[in-house]
Amino acid sequence: MKRIKLLLGFSVLVLVLCIASLGVMAADKPPVVIGLQGPITGPYAVEGEMAKQSVEIAAQMINEKGGILGGRMIEIRIADDACQPKAGALAAMKLITQKDIVAAIQTYGSFVVLPASDIYEKFQKVNIAYGATITDLTERGLKYFFRTCGRTDTQAKFFADKVVPFFDAKKIAIMNNNTSFSVGLAEETREALKSRIDAGEVEIVYFDAINPEETDFTVPLTKLRETNPDVFYYTGHFPEAGLIIRQAREIGIEAIFVGGDAVVNEDFINIAGIEYAKGVYQTQEALIEYFTNPEAMAFKEAYKAKYDTLPSSPWSVYAADALCVLAEAIDKSGSTDSDVIADYLRNKMDKFPSITGPVGFDEIGDRVGSSINLYVVNEDGSSSICDTK
Amino acid sequence: MKIVLEQLLNGLTIGSFYALIALGYSMVYGVMKLINFAHGDLFALGSYLGFTLLVSGSAYATVTLGIWGGMIAAMLIAAIGIGIAGTLIERIAYRPIYPAGRLPAVVSALGASIVIQNGIMVVWGPRPQAYSSQVVPSVILNIGGIKITLMQIVVLIISFILMGLLFYIIQKTTFGAAIRACALDRSTAALMGINIETIIFFIFALGPALGGMAGVMVGMYYRKISFTMGWNYGLKAFTATILGGIGNIPGAMLGGLLLGILEMLGSVYLSTAYKDVFVFLILILVLIFRPTGLLGEKIAEKV
Amino acid sequence: MKSNKNINQKNSIFQNWLIIIVAILFIIFPFIINAYWVDVLFFFGVYALLGLSLNIVLGEVGLFDLGHMGFMAIGAYTTAILNTTFGIPIIVLLPISAIAAGAFAWLVCSPIIHLRGDYLCIVTIGMGEIVRLTLNNNPFGITGGSNGVYGIDFPSLGNIFVVDNSTKFYYYIWLIVGLTIIGLVNLQRSRIGRAWNCIREDEIAAESTGIDVRYYKLLAFVLGAGLAGVAGNIYASKLMIVSPESFSFMESCMLFCIVLIGGMGSIPGVLIGAAAISLFPEVFRAFAQYRMLIFGAAMVAMMIFRPGGIWPRKRGAFEFKPLLMKAGEEND
Repeated sequence: MKRIKLLLGFSVLVLVLCIASLGVMAADKPPVVIGLQGPITGPYAVEGEMAKQSVEIAAQMINEKGGILGGRMIEIRIADDACQPKAGALAAMKLITQKDIVAAIQTYGSFVVLPASDIYEKFQKVNIAYGATITDLTERGLKYFFRTCGRTDTQAKFFADKVVPFFDAKKIAIMNNNTSFSVGLAEETREALKSRIDAGEVEIVYFDAINPEETDFTVPLTKLRETNPDVFYYTGHFPEAGLIIRQAREIGIEAIFVGGDAVVNEDFINIAGIEYAKGVYQTQEALIEYFTNPEAMAFKEAYKAKYDTLPSSPWSVYAADALCVLAEAIDKSGSTDSDVIADYLRNKMDKFPSITGPVGFDEIGDRVGSSINLYVVNEDGSSSICDTK
Repeated sequence: MKIVLEQLLNGLTIGSFYALIALGYSMVYGVMKLINFAHGDLFALGSYLGFTLLVSGSAYATVTLGIWGGMIAAMLIAAIGIGIAGTLIERIAYRPIYPAGRLPAVVSALGASIVIQNGIMVVWGPRPQAYSSQVVPSVILNIGGIKITLMQIVVLIISFILMGLLFYIIQKTTFGAAIRACALDRSTAALMGINIETIIFFIFALGPALGGMAGVMVGMYYRKISFTMGWNYGLKAFTATILGGIGNIPGAMLGGLLLGILEMLGSVYLSTAYKDVFVFLILILVLIFRPTGLLGEKIAEKV
Repeated sequence: MKSNKNINQKNSIFQNWLIIIVAILFIIFPFIINAYWVDVLFFFGVYALLGLSLNIVLGEVGLFDLGHMGFMAIGAYTTAILNTTFGIPIIVLLPISAIAAGAFAWLVCSPIIHLRGDYLCIVTIGMGEIVRLTLNNNPFGITGGSNGVYGIDFPSLGNIFVVDNSTKFYYYIWLIVGLTIIGLVNLQRSRIGRAWNCIREDEIAAESTGIDVRYYKLLAFVLGAGLAGVAGNIYASKLMIVSPESFSFMESCMLFCIVLIGGMGSIPGVLIGAAAISLFPEVFRAFAQYRMLIFGAAMVAMMIFRPGGIWPRKRGAFEFKPLLMKAGEEND
């Protein structure tokens, strides 16, 4: 009897909770709700936190100016995906099933964006990615998917065409962390260097992967050291990159260390220690410090006022961009319908002045008007741009 | 030749961390026949305790005691703290479950592991922390052409001292003999007048204490600590325990060091990406031919 | 004994009514809750199927399997790769995935089936990790590395039977779970089931009565793996993507807990265990970061107060006392 009571009680509990959640849903109508999916927990939490803060600042700025669609305020609803594909799929589902969500800004990590964008597409919700650069994402013919960040093939070409000659490098070591983004960037870099390799100017002396969950990389780094590279290009992510740079220097790798676009941020500097982080280069999309256009200045001011610092990587700013872009599309097209918004973004948005400069989207949803630069970390942790012309 | 030596040292360093943690698993299993899944997370907790001590008050401990003094203080505090934590876990999560058999104890151990891991996350935050530069020596030595950090030497020396101490206690003292007796046959040992309570207290205090000290050393050596590190190291250390023969203390030490070296070999001669696969395959092969591990005794089957 | 008989009759009447009520609830759930919860209940179904599959190995035979997700991974990836490369329909791939997982289990468990409890444990952990790590490394370029394989279709039989939204998936998985339960209940009552239980209680005694222990153990693994493969197939077609970290060691541990918390060898117990493990984190989302902390504490408490599980198996003369006796044993 006891078990039966237990089971019945449990079923009733579940039923009640389900009905309760149904009730909660029906409450709000007036605001325009935009979903934000990001890694709020987990090893990439710093990126999720910065994205959340940036988007909220951007929303606040728009709301202060009177909102959109005739006075409707923008409301941001967050879904945590811990930077994992399955959680990403669930977070996307969670956002979609809330009927008042108009569109979504999604997430950091190409491998999370992949399944999530499939789901948004299936349910016909416009979604703009802010931290997913692998090339394939926009090659799938999706109607509702856009991104405000750049692509890895652009970055790879930049490395091959501008960075290698900047350092006059002959021997290059490329290390990745086995994630699809990292492997993608590494392989595209190798592709981009092909003509130089064939001409005998450049040689790739090391090309291997490490497991980012480890903490000890001395063994593969020793292997790398023995190949005597001029430049060490690491295409992985910041949690392990901090360890890698320190261990690399400690075992005597003197090569110039260049990180891909997921390597440098405040956590990286914290983990590596500033004495190792300074002098590290990165191929990166635009860092917010360098923007002087009015939208950027306003954003920087508002962000600094609330959080005392600036976002340490571009992705969160791209998320804010995504919000501005969505707000503009909804406002100017006068509608919250996904097809109308998608059409506006694709065809009618042209050089819209946003935080990171003019934004437009091409046929397949890629951002038109982003750029890659080479930066170096300074003594105080900030980054300076390098002139690679 | 130089490289071989260098890589060997690298393998031994990571291996000694595995060994120190593996000892905890082995001691508990030997006497209690219980896999203490929470042990890896206790190691992580030790790392965080050391971090808090060293970094708080603007590195007060390091400023007053110096880097080495600070490290020793951190290790002592971690040892005591985690030793206490270990015995607490035994009281709360394991003792009530002994009558119910071994499988419920596994679930309880997993539950305890989740509690500790998430407890760390709640207290210290989900982002990884780092032992800052001022509390860690960053001296790089050049011995005979091999670049080695001072920290690596210190880690190796301390680990071997600790292992040696434990080996001595277990193999050469009466108390150690009592522990080995309990591992062999607990009820008969009780009949012989051995106080099981004391033995249980000792293993649940000492094993985790060693793990806590290893945690501080890992923190100082790698500097980055995260609340999931217990799980990663724990699994490797548990593998090392089985490799050496579970319940066998020298086996755990051997297993740990061997595991570090195997990882190194896999990484150098195969590819870094496949090294874990390599290690597990070796483990399975060893178990097929020596089912009780490398140093495990042949257990007669009851009829 | 007359009063006993009345109580037994009453119990089974209650049980029958209970099953009917629960079944009705299950059927009407999707119409009263929103799509997100339907999804959650879908995953509950997947965990139920996985729990039942592990129950064969762990609950019936008592084999210490902590790498069970490896089998699910094989099933899921078989489905994913064959579907995205050759366009083979998902429904056709369901039995194929089951066979692939089962064959893998047979291949891999044969050499190690004789290992003692805890050693079998570490070997199964190793197997699970090897599968996950290998998939992560993208051998021959077919598994997509840590990104996994995406673009998997829905299950469909022509135009009539198409499973393409949350509600349909929900019914689909629970239909499969239902069929599985019927199959397993029959197995439990058959010779095979009895042989399994015999092996769990005392392997040497079982051998001495003529039971081919090795065969039955392998059979349990293969069947368990096959079911896990089915779960993998359905999981893959729902998420439209499979990636290695869905099949981690932690997930295998959760499966283990499902079987133990629910009640080893008990089918209703496994269902309750699956509910507890899959619904608990969702229901307690409000507690944010304390969620998993409470979950872990609940696991410990569960084992302290009800070590036999929420709904232990009633097997004729089986009772709690044999478990109590194990505390005194030293050498297993």
